[in-house]
Amino acid sequence: MACLFRGVVLGGLVPFAAGPLSPQNSKFLPKPMSHQESQEMKSNNCQGLPSRMPDNTAFQQQQLPAWRPSLTARAVLPGFFTTGVFFLSMGILLILSAKSVKEIEITYTDICSNCSKLRENASNFYKECTCSISFFIPEKMPGNVYMYYKLYNFYQNYRRYIISRNNRQLLGEDITNVENCAPFQRVSNDIPIAPCGAIANSMFNDTILLSYYPNSSTRINVPLLSSDITWWTDKHVKFQNPKSSNLASAFAGTVKPPYWRKPVYQLDQGNPENNGFLNSDFIVWMRVAALPTFKKLYRRIHRIQQFADGLPAGNYSLDISYNFPVTLFKGEKGVVLSTVMWSGGKNFFLGIAYTTTGAVTWLAAFSMTAVHLKLKKKKAFFQC
Amino acid sequence: MFCGEKKLLETERRVKANDREFNEKFQYANNRIHTSKYNVLTFLPINLFEQFQRVANAYFLFLLILQLIPEISSLSWFTTIVPLVLVLTITAVKDATDDFFRHKSDNQVNNRLSEVLINGRLQSEKWMNVKAGDIIKLENNQFVAADLLLLSSSEPHGLCYIETAELDGETNLKVRHALPVTSELGADISRLAKFDGVVACEPPNNKLDKFTGELSWKDNKYPLSNEKIILRGCVLRNTSWCFGMVIFAGPDTKLMQNSGRTKFKRTSIDRLMNTLVLWIFGFLVCMGIILAIGNSIWEHQVGDYFQAFLFRDEVVKNPIFSGFLTFWSYVIILNTVVPISLYVSVEVIRLGHSHFINWDRKMYYSKKETLAEARTTTLNEELGQIEYVFSDKTGTLTQNIMTFNKCSINGRTYGEIYDNLGRKIEINEKTKSVDFSFNPQADSRFRFYDHSLIESIKLGDPKVHEFFRLLALCHTVMPEEKNEGKLIYQVQSPDEGALVTAARNFGFVFKSRTPETITIEEMGKVVTYQLLAFLDFNNIRKRMSVIVQNPEGQIKLYCKGADTILFEKLHPSNEELMTLTSDHLSEFGGEGLRTLAIAYRDLNEEYFTEWFKLLEEASRGLDMRDERIAAAYEEIERDMMLLGATAIEDKLQDGVIETIASLSLANIKIWVLTGDKQETAMNIGYSCNMLTDDMNEVFVISGQTAADVWEEFKKAKEILFERSTGFTNGYAFCEKLQELKLGSTVEETVTGDYALIINGHSLGYALEANLQNEFLEIACICKTVICCRVTPLQKAQVVELVKMHRKAVTLAIGDGANDISMIKSAHIGVGISGQEGMQAVLASDYSFAQFRYLQRLLLVHGRWSYFRMCKFLCYFFYKNFAFTLVHFWFGFFCGFSAQTVYDQWFITLFNIVYTSLPVLAMGIFDQDVSEQNSLDYPNLYGPGQLNLLFNKRKFFICIAHGVYTSFALFFIPYGVFYNVAGEDGKHITDYQSFAVTIATSLVIVVSVQVRQLQRAQDKATPLKSHKRQPRRTSSRRSGYAFAHQEGYGELITSGKNMRVKNLPTSGLGKTMYNSTSWIENLCKKTTDTVNSFSLDRTVKL
Repeated sequence: MACLFRGVVLGGLVPFAAGPLSPQNSKFLPKPMSHQESQEMKSNNCQGLPSRMPDNTAFQQQQLPAWRPSLTARAVLPGFFTTGVFFLSMGILLILSAKSVKEIEITYTDICSNCSKLRENASNFYKECTCSISFFIPEKMPGNVYMYYKLYNFYQNYRRYIISRNNRQLLGEDITNVENCAPFQRVSNDIPIAPCGAIANSMFNDTILLSYYPNSSTRINVPLLSSDITWWTDKHVKFQNPKSSNLASAFAGTVKPPYWRKPVYQLDQGNPENNGFLNSDFIVWMRVAALPTFKKLYRRIHRIQQFADGLPAGNYSLDISYNFPVTLFKGEKGVVLSTVMWSGGKNFFLGIAYTTTGAVTWLAAFSMTAVHLKLKKKKAFFQC
Repeated sequence: MFCGEKKLLETERRVKANDREFNEKFQYANNRIHTSKYNVLTFLPINLFEQFQRVANAYFLFLLILQLIPEISSLSWFTTIVPLVLVLTITAVKDATDDFFRHKSDNQVNNRLSEVLINGRLQSEKWMNVKAGDIIKLENNQFVAADLLLLSSSEPHGLCYIETAELDGETNLKVRHALPVTSELGADISRLAKFDGVVACEPPNNKLDKFTGELSWKDNKYPLSNEKIILRGCVLRNTSWCFGMVIFAGPDTKLMQNSGRTKFKRTSIDRLMNTLVLWIFGFLVCMGIILAIGNSIWEHQVGDYFQAFLFRDEVVKNPIFSGFLTFWSYVIILNTVVPISLYVSVEVIRLGHSHFINWDRKMYYSKKETLAEARTTTLNEELGQIEYVFSDKTGTLTQNIMTFNKCSINGRTYGEIYDNLGRKIEINEKTKSVDFSFNPQADSRFRFYDHSLIESIKLGDPKVHEFFRLLALCHTVMPEEKNEGKLIYQVQSPDEGALVTAARNFGFVFKSRTPETITIEEMGKVVTYQLLAFLDFNNIRKRMSVIVQNPEGQIKLYCKGADTILFEKLHPSNEELMTLTSDHLSEFGGEGLRTLAIAYRDLNEEYFTEWFKLLEEASRGLDMRDERIAAAYEEIERDMMLLGATAIEDKLQDGVIETIASLSLANIKIWVLTGDKQETAMNIGYSCNMLTDDMNEVFVISGQTAADVWEEFKKAKEILFERSTGFTNGYAFCEKLQELKLGSTVEETVTGDYALIINGHSLGYALEANLQNEFLEIACICKTVICCRVTPLQKAQVVELVKMHRKAVTLAIGDGANDISMIKSAHIGVGISGQEGMQAVLASDYSFAQFRYLQRLLLVHGRWSYFRMCKFLCYFFYKNFAFTLVHFWFGFFCGFSAQTVYDQWFITLFNIVYTSLPVLAMGIFDQDVSEQNSLDYPNLYGPGQLNLLFNKRKFFICIAHGVYTSFALFFIPYGVFYNVAGEDGKHITDYQSFAVTIATSLVIVVSVQVRQLQRAQDKATPLKSHKRQPRRTSSRRSGYAFAHQEGYGELITSGKNMRVKNLPTSGLGKTMYNSTSWIENLCKKTTDTVNSFSLDRTVKL
């Protein structure tokens, strides 16, 4: 068998060349399996014993065991019905689950139109602009509640944008490696940008605070957690800060991206651990979205005190420090508060898709059964 | 003459013997041959140039260049360069190895030694150094180095024998003779060295049987014909030496001129694939344009406002230019619709199929230890599409063995065996054959199964004895006694050999002959007969006789010949026996045996002497000599007593009939193209059931001029379309022709079985432009087509004709050098291996030892290969469209920025790793029906011939399927990912997750799809068990299977072909003809008989 497979492996290489050969070229070629054959020939000449007859293996004689299903109605129809049942039940489960997800979305581009206007002009870069939005949650949002920011019409999947990053730099190995980061590699005086590239440069930098009004006079800041909002692998494998006694010195010799207000090592002044390349918001942003409309996890609601069971129904407000310009490109942004189920967020598509498939399968199964039963009566057709 | 134009301008060749300086003026080619393509320096550029002529390679090179431009490179360059370089390197290595072997074989041929007369001395010289005008010496069994003019030989009168098997496949020896003036030179080196004749002759051409020229020597001019020329590729036989002057050397020789140019063969699927690849490329350009326009619009509408975040280069700012760049980027991304791996996989699959052919034990011929061999690995699937098979006869359909099979002696048949109940027993390998051990002279290869015959001999039945005595006496065989009394017979006709060998085994051993005597050993007793007269065979007489006198003084005429002729010459008292024998003959004929009737006549001395005078007078006469001799022959060959008849089997190879039947059921048309003569070819046609007596009509075309041939075609057509009126006028005729071109409507109107038999001469006209359509039309309607006496080139022309005008896939199968051109020009060439000559095998694409393996090759391997390849291609295109078009849909959501959906490595490895094995396994192993079923139901072969499984329609279905799949693959994940979060609330709609999701579903979907490919479930009508059934009603075909037109009687009686030492000094009719005139006689006769033969249109003897 070893010899046999040698032949096959050899065969795997030769065909590259076999294509453009004309037949006469191959006339002097050793036959396929020439190795084996020449061996046999030799032994043939010496002893005259073994013949050149090919081996009687199932593989060589094309007698390998084969599955030859005969797809009769009897065998196929139960399969169809079972598949249909499975898809239908999956679909219904998914729809029910998506239905129970509570989700609220507040787009604030229009509401904060003055800030939007302000940001359209780049010269107002350092001007602060805050915006407060009140809203009402009619139903309690039980369990874990997550806060997302949502961007419309932001093409994070644009090719030149998506390639404009340097993963080696983000690993903290070589902070000055800005390859592929064009056009945000270096500032004019040749100092490398850290983190470099268009993705990092365009990081979402609004800050959003959520307040709860149990009654009209009391305002409680909803505790928000910025921890554990990233993929574990991102936080622990893909992103690393450069090794140094303190972060500021680690990033010495580099400069912040031009659209940033603060250098990367000062992103979260409240929590020194959450700085540098390991800043959760930064990591979340760097995981680029597949589609031009996307939401990204911003904060988790810390389930303490009143919020131990989730967000109670009532009045809330958002305080937004509006930094990220979107109206320039006719984009919008918003905040989404959502609970999750085992099936994820509020998305009916999958459930509907399953249900539809299940329904179609059943339809097919029924019509085939009908045809089958009809033909069964006229037995002539199926008797061969 | 200028050397560059020499080839174009050469209208006449002038060669002077022994004068290299003179000949050098003309710059004739020397004897070196070149079949290699490269040398060390030219290899790389030429090979690369050739490789990049392949559309695919050029395309990938172009892509690679695109990818190296950073502005548009949407995929890294390694996705293309790695496979491309791999493909190029391996091809180059393989080409180099091939060429190396070609160099080696060229060198081997070029370095063969031959003895050349240089400066008055014989010197060993390499073949390649031989030049036109040189005189070279050949020895027995040597290959002839160049086309020579025979000057002299060891045999008397400058005769020499050659075997031309390499050239035309005929195995019988041919005689060549030198001019009397040159044959006098003998082996006298000094005289040969002084020979300074000038030959003026035709320029190099490929006509093997024609030569016209003139030798001027010593102020005399001698005409030269083909009879004086020995061609390269022949082998000298039975002649210890001969001298010849080189006329054509190397590439100018008729052999090299005849070796048709090798063409690069590709399968129709290959060609279709190339077209489709071009279409796909067009499709790709369309998509690129759509996306590029989208990009321009997007950049204008959205992108322009996006500068802050979605940075764009300065150069790309202009939306139109950006669109232009995007176009190229998309060309790169979408190129995976035609990936390199398609070509690689196709080759892998074909190689796998080739291995299966090599490994097939059922195509292994154990007697000769010969494996079937796929010599070309690129043509397998075409084996499943064959519509026409062109077969050689000798050695391919037949074994080229004639066996004495049956006989009828004095009204009793021998040769059949019956069991106790009187039922006929089928003769097979196990049947006990007659034991000839009592006879020390017996030929051990001879087999006879009917024991009653040997008993009759032992009992001393005088008729039986007379029968075998006749067989031992009446023939033209030359005996040769090798060491220790072992007899070898030199035969001109294998039929005669079979008869004499039969007589030998039954105790009538032909021992030796002189011009006047024949010595045989009759049941152990040596008897010498005086040979009084030899009444030779020719095509009109269709019989030969000898008149011998036994030691007792009795004079007898022994005659054998075609029954129809012979029966007219019998004594009236034979009436009863004649009817009986006639029945037997019909029976033999029905079994496809070739029969001869046998008769004798007792002569008294006075009558004979009187007759002999008459004959001598006739032969001395100047005018009407032939007629008078013929009349004299007629005179004595009458009132004969019938002895019986012989039946000789031109042994078909095993399973030929079944194979042909099975292939016909698979709707494959089989044409027999043979160099053999018409009678023999037709006989074989009958014995392998290609011709039957049930046929409505057998057309025999043997016209001598174009007009004759046209006339015959017209007649044939009238018969074919006799119902359609008004066909005879030219206008309707043209209409019909156009119809033919439009479709096969004509064929459908014709019912009934017809056969067409055409000989080489007529074929020459039939192949000319004005007649070829008619020829093809008639030939394609006929169920069976047999072309006889065709030259190698004509074989190729016939194949080309069918290939060109019928758009059908053709296969040529043959065993000899004369089949090479046909093998090369057919789509698929098959060589019969395991025989002496290997040329056919070397030129072939497939080779095996027995014709019957063709059935398995086509119906099992070919069919499977075709099915697998078609499924594979359908699937592969489907898969890659499903894979690639996702990018197209994604384009609408990523600003047409040529962002790929998948990871780059996934794109690189998708076809090589992720989805390669299932599809390869399917392409290599899939069996839609078992091999037994595909053999039992030959009409399962049909889809291949009609090209149903992979054509443009199928392709579009696959593509549509692929587009649909890609749509689902993109939009279902899109719907799912739109606004979703993970179950832990984290954001999962990122690009990577999306890419992996689509990629995973893609791999699952396309892998599952492999199984979904439809399975052919044709229900075919079962093949009737086709045992060989003797057709008792069949007509009788009797005659000689002489491959020559005339017997060698004269040669024998004149003693010309006997060594001088054998020549006795005196005898009765010492020489019938004046010895010097004999050779001229022979020449004249040969040309006469050529004509008479061609005129002879009798079909059924």
